[in-house]
Amino acid sequence: MASVCPTKTAKKVVGIALLSAILLVFPWLGPPVYFISFLYTVFMFVCMASAWNLIGGYAGYLSFGHAAFFGTGAYAAAMLTKAVGPGTASNLLCSIPSGLVAAVIALVVGYPCLKLRGPYFAVITLCFAFVVQLSVQNLGVLGGPDGLWIKGMDLPVETGRSILYESMLLLMAITILVVERIEHSKFGAGLRAIKQDEEVAQTMAVNAPRLKMGAFALSAFFPGVAGGLHASYLTYIHPTIVFDVNMSILIVLMALFGGGASWLGPVVGAVLLSFINELLSTFVKAELARIIYGSLFIVVIIFMPNGIMEFIRKRKQTGSPH
Amino acid sequence: MLAVERLVVKYDELTALRGVSLTVESGALVAMIGSNGAGKTTLLNAVSGLIPTREGTISWEGSLITGLTPDAVCRLGIVQAPEGRKLFAKMTVEENLQMGAYSPGPRARVAESMKRVLELFPRLAERRRQTAESLSGGEQQMLALGRALMATPGLLMLDEPSLGLAPIMAAQIFEIIGDLNRAGTTILLVSQEVLQTLSIARDGYLLENGEITLAGPSERLLADQRVKKSYLGL
Repeated sequence: MASVCPTKTAKKVVGIALLSAILLVFPWLGPPVYFISFLYTVFMFVCMASAWNLIGGYAGYLSFGHAAFFGTGAYAAAMLTKAVGPGTASNLLCSIPSGLVAAVIALVVGYPCLKLRGPYFAVITLCFAFVVQLSVQNLGVLGGPDGLWIKGMDLPVETGRSILYESMLLLMAITILVVERIEHSKFGAGLRAIKQDEEVAQTMAVNAPRLKMGAFALSAFFPGVAGGLHASYLTYIHPTIVFDVNMSILIVLMALFGGGASWLGPVVGAVLLSFINELLSTFVKAELARIIYGSLFIVVIIFMPNGIMEFIRKRKQTGSPH
Repeated sequence: MLAVERLVVKYDELTALRGVSLTVESGALVAMIGSNGAGKTTLLNAVSGLIPTREGTISWEGSLITGLTPDAVCRLGIVQAPEGRKLFAKMTVEENLQMGAYSPGPRARVAESMKRVLELFPRLAERRRQTAESLSGGEQQMLALGRALMATPGLLMLDEPSLGLAPIMAAQIFEIIGDLNRAGTTILLVSQEVLQTLSIARDGYLLENGEITLAGPSERLLADQRVKKSYLGL
C-alpha cells in the first residue's frame, strides 16, 4: 500500500500540471473565439461555485443570493475603471478591490442574516439579491435602468478575450487553492462542525458567528473579483444581467450537483453542468434541452443527494475489499 | 472552582431556575440530581453560556463568567458533554475527537490527548475511521465523553451520561467517570440515576422545580427520606 501512495500523488501532480499547461497555452494556439469564451465561463462558474461552497457546502448556510456579489463586483469595477482611467492593466487590477467591496457588503449583510438558519437564511439571501438589483436599477449614479458601459481594454477581440481567459483561469486556480487549504484547516473543521450542530460546535469553543462571517465574506470576495473581470468582458453591464437570479441558483446547483463536502465537488459540478448545458443547447432543440437539463437534476437529487463526488466515493468504499 | 450564586433563568415567562446556588471545588465530583424538568440541563446550559441568565452570577476560578459566549466559556476550560450526546453524526470518530480539542490550548496537546482518550476507550480506537452515527449507543456515549476530554477540561459537566444505555453499559460509564475524577478531573455530574450518581460523587445537590432543596455529602442525600421516597422508590 505504502508504495502505491506516492506514485498516486505523483500522477495527480503530473495530471494537474499537464492540465494547467494545456489550459494556459490554449488561447494562444488560435482556436475559435467561441471556445475561449466557453472555457472562460466555465472558469468563472468553477470559481463561484467553489467560493460559494465555503458558506454553503462546509457551513451549510445555503446562500441563494450570490449573484448579488458577482453584480456588485461588476459595478464596482465599472466605477473604479472610470475613476482611474481604463486600460488593460487597470481594468484587470480593478477587479481585486471590486472583490473587496463585495466582501464588505457580505459582512454588512451577513451580520444580521447569518443569525437565521436553514430555509430562513436561504430566503433572506434571495431577497437581498433582489433588493440589491432593484437598488442599482434605480440609482442614477450607477446608470440606473440604462446600465453602464465599460471602456474596453483597447485590444483586438481575440487578444482581449485571451487575456481575460488567463485572468479568470488564474482567479479560478487561486480560489480552488484557498478553498482547499481552508477545507483542511481548523477554520474548515469549525465550519463543518457548524453545519452539523451549531450549538454543540460553540460549546467546543468554535466562535460560530465569526467563522460564518469570515466564510461568507470570503465566499463573496471571489465572485466579486469574477464580476469585476466579467464587466471588462461584457463591456456593457445591466442590473438584469449581472444580478440575474438564475445565476444565484445555478451556483448553488453546481456546487450541490458535484457535492458540497469537498473542494472537488463544486469544481466537478460546475464543469459538468457547464458542458452539459452547452452541448444540450448546441445539439438539442431548446425546449427539449431544458427538459433534459431539468430531469437530470431530478435524477441526481434522488439518486445522489450528496452530490456526484460523494456518490463515487461511497461506491469506491463499498466496491473495494476494505 | 465553579461558584453559582442565586442564579435565575427564565424561558420567556416560565421560570426554570429560581435562585440556584452551588459550588464545585477543584478536584471534586459533584452530583446534581432531580427529576425531569427540574432545571438540571438549564443550569448546565446557563453555565456554558448557551442560554441567557436573568439574575445571579456564575464565576470560575474567581472571575465572573456570566454572559460570556459558549465558545469563550469553553476556552476557559469549562466543557459540557450535552444530554443525548450530540455528536457530529457525519464526522468520523477521529474527527469528533479532534473537534473536542478545537481551542488553541488543547489543540497544542491534541496528539497527547488523543492517545490518552483512545487508551481510555479502546473501542473508539477500533472504530476511529467510522462515522459517529454508525456507533452503538454505548460507544456514542464513550465518544461524547472522549470528545469532552480532548478539551483537557478544568471542569467537565456531564449531562445524563447514561441516558438510553443498557444497565451494564451505564455502570461502565459511571465507573469511568469515577476513574476520571480520581485521576484529577473536576466533574459536575447531572443524572437521574440517583443511586449510581451518588455512589461515585462526594457531594450532591437535589434540584426540584428550579430550586435546590437539599445539599450536602452524598451519604446524607442517600439517607434522606425524600430522596429515598421520590427517587429511589424505597
